[in-house]
Amino acid sequence: MTLKSVLSGVACAALCLSAVSPGVVVAAEEKPCLIAGWQNPASICAAHTKTIAATCFICHGPNGKSIGAVPSLAGQDKAYLAEAMRDFKSGKRESTVMKKYALGYSDSEYDDLAAYFAAIK
Amino acid sequence: MTINRRSFLKYSGASLAATLAPQLAFAMAGKPHVVVVGAGFGGATCAKYLRMWDPNIQVTLIEPNAQFYSCPMSNWVIGGMRTMDDIVKSYANLPGYGIKMVQDTAVGVDANKRVVTTGKGQKISYDRLVLAPGIEFMTDQIEGFAEGEAAGKVLHAWKAGPQTLALRKQLEAMPDGGVFVIASPPPPGRCVSGPYERASLVAQYFKRNKPKSKIIMLDGHFDVVSKGPMFKAAWKKLYPGMIDHRPYNLVTKVDHKSMIVTSEFEDVKADVINIVPKQRAGAICASAGVRTDTAGVWCPVNGVTYEAPNVPFVHILGDSVASNMPKSAHVSNNQAKICAAALVEMFNGREPNPYPVIGSTSYSATSDETSGPIAVVMRYDPDKEAYIRQPGGGAADLSDELNFAYNLSWFENIWADTFG
Repeated sequence: MTLKSVLSGVACAALCLSAVSPGVVVAAEEKPCLIAGWQNPASICAAHTKTIAATCFICHGPNGKSIGAVPSLAGQDKAYLAEAMRDFKSGKRESTVMKKYALGYSDSEYDDLAAYFAAIK
Repeated sequence: MTINRRSFLKYSGASLAATLAPQLAFAMAGKPHVVVVGAGFGGATCAKYLRMWDPNIQVTLIEPNAQFYSCPMSNWVIGGMRTMDDIVKSYANLPGYGIKMVQDTAVGVDANKRVVTTGKGQKISYDRLVLAPGIEFMTDQIEGFAEGEAAGKVLHAWKAGPQTLALRKQLEAMPDGGVFVIASPPPPGRCVSGPYERASLVAQYFKRNKPKSKIIMLDGHFDVVSKGPMFKAAWKKLYPGMIDHRPYNLVTKVDHKSMIVTSEFEDVKADVINIVPKQRAGAICASAGVRTDTAGVWCPVNGVTYEAPNVPFVHILGDSVASNMPKSAHVSNNQAKICAAALVEMFNGREPNPYPVIGSTSYSATSDETSGPIAVVMRYDPDKEAYIRQPGGGAADLSDELNFAYNLSWFENIWADTFG
């Protein structure tokens, strides 16, 4: 990260925000959110949650609806899902791979994922 | 002056919008068009999620094959646990998402004009191109491989399909007391744990049907490098004395007439020969000018968008990517979603998520009732511009029945997520 690149960012900010990026302006007015402790515009957090949830689909089924022995996540209780991740992380709940996953995500991501899957009908 | 992360983010979003300006102008004028090359775990997933996440994006998916043969589970066919019918997957659901399927081979990319040329002579223009062609084999690195393959006597079976079935048939035809030689290349390559799973399941078949037979593994790696303790424990317990694993044993030559496989150290006489050659990114990546890592075999990418650093508007997914991630179906599927999400954000004038996370889980079977997993989470660090392995990842020490059930479940769910 150099000073020069930051300045070029400033230079284009006025230019391109007004010209082509209404989405960025709207996002900047929304409440900032956290990803792994870093502040971001809301649009980035929404995209982040959507994408990490889609990672879960690989084992837990498309949209969290499993067609195999691995449990579905869709429609489960939000508090239960977040608690499960915390328990996998601490080892209170035994797992085959979930502890390895729980260690790779943050507490706020547990909550965002839990809310995402709880909302799926 | 110090710059904290918050200010970096504020400005990087704006400068990103500047670099996208011409693209956005087009996007607003009409519907953006993404061309995806290759309908495997990376390409099919990317095409599907682009359409699900933004129906305004037009998606064309170019794939030469009429149906998909899954590499995951193909070792189960070679070991006699499943048949080809179990690993063939239809593309019939993909058009339902609004994906335009083109059954043809992408043979050339003009990155300046943004046009893909196909084997049948079609010219397809794109706003963004996603290359997910999988691997091609560097067969010229093993003397005699091409001749042996043409004669049907030396198989890789490292792309699921006709060679999967051919290898199974050769193992069935092999007399009891025969020698099966399996050779794997040094890393990086597709599915590092695959050769060890293959040896395990062939050993199971031999133990039950041809108990005097042997498996010699000529391994280009220094050890059983993936799930090592798990495989070694299973081999000792289930197939004692049957698998002779010889590390640091890179194959350099094969003679299909005398059936002798030559490594840097020895000549081995075989009855059935399975050599997995070294690999590189699919040829279309070379045409696009993106096969540019130091050895000229894999494709470097921007970890946020999977765009090539040197060729704008060309993105690469899956095994072709130069990275520290495993080359697995799971990773390809996951990269595809990160790339699709980034494209959706950019086409809509927003900054893509600068902190993507990749999860990788891979199961290997050691018998028809035991499997074991490896799992790791990798998070992209925008300061280091690299995916960082998170603590706690790794493989199970033992394979078991519970993980066999999860292994089966993994197949069903990733197939449904990619092709369903």
